[in-house]
Amino acid sequence: MSSESSKKRKPKVIRSDGAPAEGKRNRSDTEQAIEIEERRIQSCVHFMTLKKLNRLAHIRLKKGRDQTHEAKQKVDAYHLQLQNLLYEVMHLQKEITKCLEFKSKHEEIDLVSLEEFYKEAPPDISKAEVTMGDPHQQTLARLDWELEQRKRLAEKYRECLSNKEKILKEIEVKKEYLSSLQPRLNSIMQASLPVQEYLFMPFDQAHKQYETARHLPPPLYVLFVQATAYGQACDKTLSVAIEGSVDEAKALFKPPDDSQDDESDSDAEEEQTTKRRRPTLGVQLDDKRKEMLKRHPLSVMVDLKCKDESVLHLTFYYLMNLNILTVKAKVTTATELITPISAGDLLSPDSVLSCLYPGDHGKKTPNPANQYQFDKVGILTLRDYVLDLGHPYLWVQKLGGLHFPKEQPQHTVIADHSLSASHMETTMKLLKTRVQSRLALHKQFASLEHGIVPVTSDCQYLFPAKVVSRLVKWVTVAHEDYMELHFTKDIVEAGLAGDTNLYYMALIERGTAKLQAAVVLNPGYSSIPPIFQLCLNWKGEKTNSNDDNIRAMESEVNVCYKELCGPRPGHQLLTNQLQRLCVLLDVYLETESHDDSVEGPKEFPQEKMCLRLFRGPSRMKPFKYNHPQGFFSHR
Amino acid sequence: MERPAPVAVPLGQAEVFQALQRLHMTVFSQSVSPCGKFLAAGNNYGQIAIFSLSAALSSEAKEESKKPVVTFQAHDGPVYSMVSTDRHLLSAGDGEVKAWLWAEILKKGCKEMWRRQPPYRTSLEVPEINALLLVPKENSLILAGGDCQLHTMDLETGTFTRALRGHTDYIHCLALRERSPEVLSGGEDGAVRLWDLRTAKEAQTIEVYKHEECSRPHNGRWIGCLATDSDWMVCGGGPALTLWHLRSSTPTTIFPIRAPQKHVTFYQDLILSAGQGHCINHWQLSGELKAQVPGSSPGLLSLSLNQQPAAPECKVLTAAGNSCRVDVFTNLGYRAFSLSF
Repeated sequence: MSSESSKKRKPKVIRSDGAPAEGKRNRSDTEQAIEIEERRIQSCVHFMTLKKLNRLAHIRLKKGRDQTHEAKQKVDAYHLQLQNLLYEVMHLQKEITKCLEFKSKHEEIDLVSLEEFYKEAPPDISKAEVTMGDPHQQTLARLDWELEQRKRLAEKYRECLSNKEKILKEIEVKKEYLSSLQPRLNSIMQASLPVQEYLFMPFDQAHKQYETARHLPPPLYVLFVQATAYGQACDKTLSVAIEGSVDEAKALFKPPDDSQDDESDSDAEEEQTTKRRRPTLGVQLDDKRKEMLKRHPLSVMVDLKCKDESVLHLTFYYLMNLNILTVKAKVTTATELITPISAGDLLSPDSVLSCLYPGDHGKKTPNPANQYQFDKVGILTLRDYVLDLGHPYLWVQKLGGLHFPKEQPQHTVIADHSLSASHMETTMKLLKTRVQSRLALHKQFASLEHGIVPVTSDCQYLFPAKVVSRLVKWVTVAHEDYMELHFTKDIVEAGLAGDTNLYYMALIERGTAKLQAAVVLNPGYSSIPPIFQLCLNWKGEKTNSNDDNIRAMESEVNVCYKELCGPRPGHQLLTNQLQRLCVLLDVYLETESHDDSVEGPKEFPQEKMCLRLFRGPSRMKPFKYNHPQGFFSHR
Repeated sequence: MERPAPVAVPLGQAEVFQALQRLHMTVFSQSVSPCGKFLAAGNNYGQIAIFSLSAALSSEAKEESKKPVVTFQAHDGPVYSMVSTDRHLLSAGDGEVKAWLWAEILKKGCKEMWRRQPPYRTSLEVPEINALLLVPKENSLILAGGDCQLHTMDLETGTFTRALRGHTDYIHCLALRERSPEVLSGGEDGAVRLWDLRTAKEAQTIEVYKHEECSRPHNGRWIGCLATDSDWMVCGGGPALTLWHLRSSTPTTIFPIRAPQKHVTFYQDLILSAGQGHCINHWQLSGELKAQVPGSSPGLLSLSLNQQPAAPECKVLTAAGNSCRVDVFTNLGYRAFSLSF
């Protein structure tokens, strides 16, 4: 640099030197040249110092930089250290939290509770002294115990499995043995048939019956099963049998043969040609009707034996196209019955089972869908065919498990066992009561027609010892005639005189007094009482419309009938009511107040003991008989 | 007359029994509530039924309005007579008189407020109470019936104050003569006796059967019904229905009807009577029959005129007797409809 500067300066100097050198270059030139030399030397020195300073400045700068660099490096090192430490801290914290959150598998196991553990575990595992204080040890001990227990249980499990295998094998062996027995048993059964017959144990017969039962249509099958079950379980007097031809039943379900030989074909054609002439419309309709009302060839017969040796035979039929069951009934008694005239309808097959349940008269088909079928073939009502086919009572349908809803016709009604079972017991009991009450009435009618009211000895207490009025006549009356009588209007209007009831007329007499009693006998006798309407002919005609006491007499037999039922089952009701009417007539006639204006003694002197003759605003006579004191009083 | 077609309902034992009970029901007594809107009727089974007259008479009355609002068993025996005070319904039958609160009676399970039995002489048989009479001036009730006496009971204390004896056979009916005050009683012995309540003695006796004009021996001598209009009295039963002048004890008019009458009452200028036979007879005081209005029961035992001022729209005549029905006559000339138990 200094050379440069000197070189730079030199041309300058030369120039400058060059200019003054030629002029007056004497002392002023020399002086000036010396000054310039001095000045030049000074400037060089200045230049040198300047350079030195510059150099010094540079060196200082460098030093300074080095120092800062060093310090910076230190700071960086510390910084790195700090970051390392921070990272470490963070890492450690994470680890800690991880450790804290760590769920060891052992917590998922349900360990036994502490008390149990201490109770059950053997001391070398539980180590109570150590574990009580230290929860970690405690948990370890518990886990140990758990492991032990599990090992033991696994052992047990393996043992049980092996046992099971063994037993299964044994069962297999035994099953084979049993199946080999079957053919042997069959042969034994065959051999035992004669023995069975000899000992009167008809197991085989029952078996055969079950075989036949398989061909029964569903409702009859249900009826058969339920009746047999009921007979075996509850009622030994009931016996069930199947009648009819099994082959026909089988034939119903056989599909028509497709394979026909030519022979039968030609035969069939011949038959057809002879029948070219169409049958008349009426005959066609008749055939259709017969087809519609066709019965299934099999029928179920149920026999109910009652206590007095009389038997009720019921035969149940199934009408296939109409899907209803019908029944025909017959009563046979141990001894031949002489039927009194008035008892004609009591046991007739047509009416003996009428209204077993209220309103069940059995003249209309219970299946609403049948109406449409009937319209097609021109049958008005089933009533006309009932004698031939049997009565389609509602209880019969229920016994066969057929349930017909009242309003809407259903397409298919299937036979249901539960419906049949629930009705079986009630119906059988009702049937027995019905037969017995009819037979009782039969006997009573025989006696009534002879003018004797048969009062049994256990009902004598209801009546006084001496009864003077007598029953003179007992006849049946037709329904229309009953409706025409003038003193029965109230009963008819109240709807109690339907056409399913039986009507009778009784005549009770004493002296000149004649009491006519019109009786309505409901088929549900004796739970539904007979209803009496009276008409007295004595000093004028008195009925319930013009004499309050006649009304009271009717009330005594109609409303207060429960006292007259007698011992269960209450078949004595009718005769007791008739006897009471005789007693009431006695009381009426004897307590009639004497008319002072007419001469002569009273026709009927008072023989009954009465406390008071008249009572109340309607002046009632004392109709109530008190036993055992024997006097009459008012209700 | 065409009979209505009988109902073809399958009848079980319970329905038959109910139908028979209704056929043999007799309604013995009636009483109108103090508000005039309800009618109580008592029958021979001991039941009392409360009918709502206002509902049955209203323009939108249905079949159910003609049935009782409530029916309850009041007595063991028949309910022979009933009267109403301004708060209570008093009913009497087999020997006891019971009181029911009108305000409570429409609720189910109503119990009687009190029951009293007058002191009877005989203990063998409990005599019935055939007639009840209210004496408003003394606030007392007079009972008469089977033991041939008239018992007076004070309504406030419930004690039996007097027993008037004189009849020789049981008493059928009572009537009150407001002015004196006197009570008339008619009985089975054929006599109508007047009792003075202040002196508790028999003031007058009229033996109806002894008078030839009115006696009918073939019917008996019993007096079944009585009504009085201060100076005049009308009575009937076994003897013919006769109008008597009380002061002179003479029969003035005899009403020409053969059937024994069981209930008679004065109404405006008419005499209404009913008895055996299904008609209510309207008589003029001169003895002429003005009208015979048929009812629905074959014999009538009780007539009731609803003259309560609180319910003028329910002013009707009701008749009941040998059936379960109570006939309602809105206009005396014809039967409007029947309420039924």
